[in-house]
Amino acid sequence: MNKAFAFVRGKLSVKVSLWVVFFAAIIFNIALGWFFYQARDAVRSEAVSRATQILDKTSLRVEGILNRVEVASNMTKWLVLRHPNKADSMFVYSRGMLENNPDFYNTSIAFEPYHFKERGRYFSAYTRHIGDSIRTTQGGSESYQYFYMDWYLMPKLLDKPCWTEPYIDFDVATNTSEMVTSYCQSIKDEEGKVIGVINTSLSLNWLSQTISAVKPYPNSYSIMIGRGGTYFVHPDSTKITCQSIFTQTMEHEDTAMVALGHAMQRGEEGMKHMTVNGTDSYVFYKPLGQTGCSMAIVCPESDIFGGFDRLRRTVTIIIAVGLLLMLFFFIRIITSELKPLRRLAKEAETIASGRFDVQMPDFQRVDEIGQLSHSFAGMQQSLVKYIEELKDTTSQKASIERDLQVASSIQMGMLPEKFPTRDDRDDVQLFASLTPAKEVGGDLFDFYFRDEKLFFCIGDVSGKGVPASLFMAVTRSTFRTVSAHESMPDRIVTIMNRTIADMNKNHMFVTLFVGVLDLPTGRLHYCNAGHDAPLLVGDGVGELPCDANIPVGFMPTWKYTLQEAHIFTGTTIFLFTDGLTEAEDANHAQFQMERVNDVAENALANHQHEPRQIIERMTDAVHQFVGDAEQSDDLTMMAIQYIKQQDEEVRMRKSIVLPNDVKVVPQLTDFVTEVCETMGFDDMDTMKMNVAIEEAVVNVMNYAYPAGEHGDVTVEAVTNGMRLKFTIIDSGKPFDPTVQAAVDTTLSASERPIGGLGIHLVRQIMDSINYERINGLNVLTLRKKLNNNSI
Amino acid sequence: MKITIETTNGTTTAHLEGRLDTPASTEVTPYFDQLQEHADGTVILDCTELSYIASSGLRLFLALRKVSMAKGGKVIVKNINDGIRQVFMMTGFLNMFEIQ
Repeated sequence: MNKAFAFVRGKLSVKVSLWVVFFAAIIFNIALGWFFYQARDAVRSEAVSRATQILDKTSLRVEGILNRVEVASNMTKWLVLRHPNKADSMFVYSRGMLENNPDFYNTSIAFEPYHFKERGRYFSAYTRHIGDSIRTTQGGSESYQYFYMDWYLMPKLLDKPCWTEPYIDFDVATNTSEMVTSYCQSIKDEEGKVIGVINTSLSLNWLSQTISAVKPYPNSYSIMIGRGGTYFVHPDSTKITCQSIFTQTMEHEDTAMVALGHAMQRGEEGMKHMTVNGTDSYVFYKPLGQTGCSMAIVCPESDIFGGFDRLRRTVTIIIAVGLLLMLFFFIRIITSELKPLRRLAKEAETIASGRFDVQMPDFQRVDEIGQLSHSFAGMQQSLVKYIEELKDTTSQKASIERDLQVASSIQMGMLPEKFPTRDDRDDVQLFASLTPAKEVGGDLFDFYFRDEKLFFCIGDVSGKGVPASLFMAVTRSTFRTVSAHESMPDRIVTIMNRTIADMNKNHMFVTLFVGVLDLPTGRLHYCNAGHDAPLLVGDGVGELPCDANIPVGFMPTWKYTLQEAHIFTGTTIFLFTDGLTEAEDANHAQFQMERVNDVAENALANHQHEPRQIIERMTDAVHQFVGDAEQSDDLTMMAIQYIKQQDEEVRMRKSIVLPNDVKVVPQLTDFVTEVCETMGFDDMDTMKMNVAIEEAVVNVMNYAYPAGEHGDVTVEAVTNGMRLKFTIIDSGKPFDPTVQAAVDTTLSASERPIGGLGIHLVRQIMDSINYERINGLNVLTLRKKLNNNSI
Repeated sequence: MKITIETTNGTTTAHLEGRLDTPASTEVTPYFDQLQEHADGTVILDCTELSYIASSGLRLFLALRKVSMAKGGKVIVKNINDGIRQVFMMTGFLNMFEIQ
């Protein structure tokens, strides 16, 4: 069944044909139903009028016969009364009546006993047909004492002529019997005394045949019942006189039959639709004159509607066959009409599979299919064109995407990848992450160590994508270049701003936070150029106070301010871009500073505020908040934790104060040599240490004080057994010797500049050289890690 | 700091003795100016007795080397001790001078 439905669904021709045939069938059904209903009514009324007519005719005929019987009887009575005493005449009259009425069964003129004395007790002139002849005899005898018969007694007693109930007339002479009904009337003499009775009989069989002879329909039949309901006429002759119309209703309740019986007994005329002997029939009934009898014609419905039903069957079959043929031809026609469509569908499938060069069929049709075919060919051409264009666009896009990927990896490559941890350093650990919203982004962070300082920055370029990324690259390299020569963040940012603002034709800008953390002391110098203030996560969570500086790139003349803070051991500096606070969820709600604080506080409470931990916690929180929403902005975080343990045991401390004159170098040499001896260095190490300290001190002496000005230079040597530290302090003008350009030792002699070797040697020999300006003093610190009494 | 210069067969040899620190460099600058006059030939800096050198000393060496190159001469550094050799290495001077 499902297969059949699937088949119909898959075939337009079958579907359309089925619909058409279905509606045709409905229309035929309604029209023919109405027609048949009306026709049936007409047939019924025709049947009723026909049966009524026949019934009237038959009843008229029967009444005619009965009247004739009565008239003949009256005529004979008249003749008898004319000659009442002539016995032989009675035979003539009797015979004459039968001769004049050959359809009478018999007649007898019977007299009272001894009416004719000479004839004895019995005299009855009895005439009946024997074959074609008529025989007249004297009917009374000892064995047939007629004056006791019903037919003789009834008219006498009733004193009027009457029809008897049927009875069997037994003819002794021929030994035959016949069911008859008789019209009897008494003969009275002048004195009114009954002298005899004239009996005229009709054979019920003959009457029945006469009535039944006329049939409106082949299977219809007539019945006649007497007063008591007894059948006089019935196609089943065994029922005649033996059964009444009520007999069967005794066995099987049949109210319709009883009602019919009563109606007929009452002498009513009419028509009933009822079941007779299990057959639906129409019964037409009518009384027969004064006889008290009633006749009925039973017409089976199948007879009445026989022709009609045949007609209906034939028409139904014709329509059914017609509809089937219609279905068949419709399917054929539609299928053949749709053939081009199927071909089009096939071609379309081929095109869909990627072969655009298929030759489209030209159907040479002007109907809708022709139009469709035409449009389809047009569509194919357009498709080929668009696909070509699309290919070009796609390959261009792919090339741009490749470029962007390369750009992305270049950009990521610019960022530091290795983050120092507790395992790498004992003074600071650091972690950072940068997630661009697009392939490339405008966020940046950077850090590096120079001397004993951590230089770091975080920034956010206005805008996103490629322009921002280029600006970011410029910013980052400018930071590196500038910070190589400058140790103070305000100077770094000011110079960067001047450089960037000068070449900034597109009016872009970058918010920037630059910090320099002095690792030995934990002193942080910083400058914030319009960037979000970093959080300090240590003894609680708080913002690092920041001056209101404008972002970098606006105004080349802006003087950025320097700020300073002390970072305690264990404290983490958490820096971020606005991609964190402004991260949006699907409803465009922002992450906001409160949540950043919450996460930081939570991390601190759980002692999870090491750089990597705090950034991972923050990342998780943002992901959870944002959900499936698209990342709206670049997101960058950097966390720096200061972990240096300050409580170092001092094993040795020596110092010397010298005037700022290079002539005192031999004193310095003696001091350094003494320190080295205390440390147990060999000659080689002592010489190297002498070179380093001499170079550093001479540098300070030469540059810290203006020419001719006198001042002191204090040199202090301290060791804890792990490291040897020289601190050179002067009160001259701020001078940072560490910002000198590095010496390129690969250059040839002619290309080498004469100067710059001193600080280069210091850097080569010592582990670190660090400059700080503290309380108006220049403080230069040189450190060297010790390795078993050597360097 | 003591410096002795002798010239034989077009070869000028300077014997350096003591510590060539910052004040000493100022002191011996005239000697090096003198050496530069012979820079068109071969100049040998004999460092057998030189115990120490600072960057100011290196500057004198370098200046001499530059003049010598300009004049098509040659500077040979002889017998440097290990400490000075290390300083030469750190500064790239090992590649600039012919070391014997």
